[in-house]
Amino acid sequence: MARRLTMDAGASEDLVQDTMLLAWRGFHQFEPGTNARAWLFRILFNVFHSDGRKAMRAPDVPLCIVRPMLQEAAEIAEALEALALDKRTVILLCVVEGFTCREAAEILHLPIGTVMSRLSRARQELRAMLTSMAQEVVR
Amino acid sequence: MTSPDSEFDQRVRAGILSEAIDTAALERSLRDRIQRPRIPRWAFAAAAGIILAIVSGVTYRTLFRPPTPPLCIAAAEDHRREIVNGEPRRWLTDVAAIRSLALKQGVPASAIPALGAVGYRLERGRLCFLKKQIFLHLVYAKDGDEISVYLRPRGSDSPFNHSVHEAFAGPEDLAYFQTDRLSTVFVARHNVLRFAVKQRFVLQ
Repeated sequence: MARRLTMDAGASEDLVQDTMLLAWRGFHQFEPGTNARAWLFRILFNVFHSDGRKAMRAPDVPLCIVRPMLQEAAEIAEALEALALDKRTVILLCVVEGFTCREAAEILHLPIGTVMSRLSRARQELRAMLTSMAQEVVR
Repeated sequence: MTSPDSEFDQRVRAGILSEAIDTAALERSLRDRIQRPRIPRWAFAAAAGIILAIVSGVTYRTLFRPPTPPLCIAAAEDHRREIVNGEPRRWLTDVAAIRSLALKQGVPASAIPALGAVGYRLERGRLCFLKKQIFLHLVYAKDGDEISVYLRPRGSDSPFNHSVHEAFAGPEDLAYFQTDRLSTVFVARHNVLRFAVKQRFVLQ
């Protein structure tokens, strides 16, 4: 999620570390019985937006080891990264992470209608890009 | 959600999640950060405030302090030569003899600083010239630390006034003031302002 959101290995590691540290220090604020994943993602997006994507300092050497993806997966990742941030975000939350539109709306502090319409447009764009990529390959 | 959407979502999800990421190193780094003692933000703010205050104080002291009067510079040089460097001079060490010398110079016994309360004792005294004016030079000592006090009846050309002022001349700290009858300068290699303030209070 962080890698696809920031599109940068170092920045995504910073984002994850800052999110987990904030969650650790603010764990007393978590209400037991509520959705812990949604709470963590809310923190992640707060950090992401408050730090500013460009301002996030990347570590000198990325810590995570990423194995190469299959052709189709790589195309999906490429198409996803080509989406605008707001659309990419709803795809990541609702499609990849499996949150409902209501949960995504709470995480992003947005009206549910906005999330639904963004998701619909994001799907359309993503689908169009993937179709276009497939046609390029066939040609 | 329609079926084509569902199929499409599944395909996207499978594609993105197929990217295998080994996060063991990240997890270790995170655990280290969690275990590291956390310095609270207020500590940084307090440290910054203290540094700013010190820098401002030093800057103010350097840029805006009034110039040291020539008489004080002469007193500092005299203290450096005779006390710090220990150049040979003839001194009176008997307190009664010092008091007698003081009286001859128009300095009453009551004007001789009594620093016994802060552990300093009058050790020696002599007459000296500062800017061609005769001063009674008294030396007080405590555990190897020495303070010079220069006294003379107030002249019409005295550069001092009734307030106690602080001044600096190289490593020497000075404090000076005058009363209706006397001009007084304290010199040492540490802050002497409190001694001068106390003496000024006694002489009021």
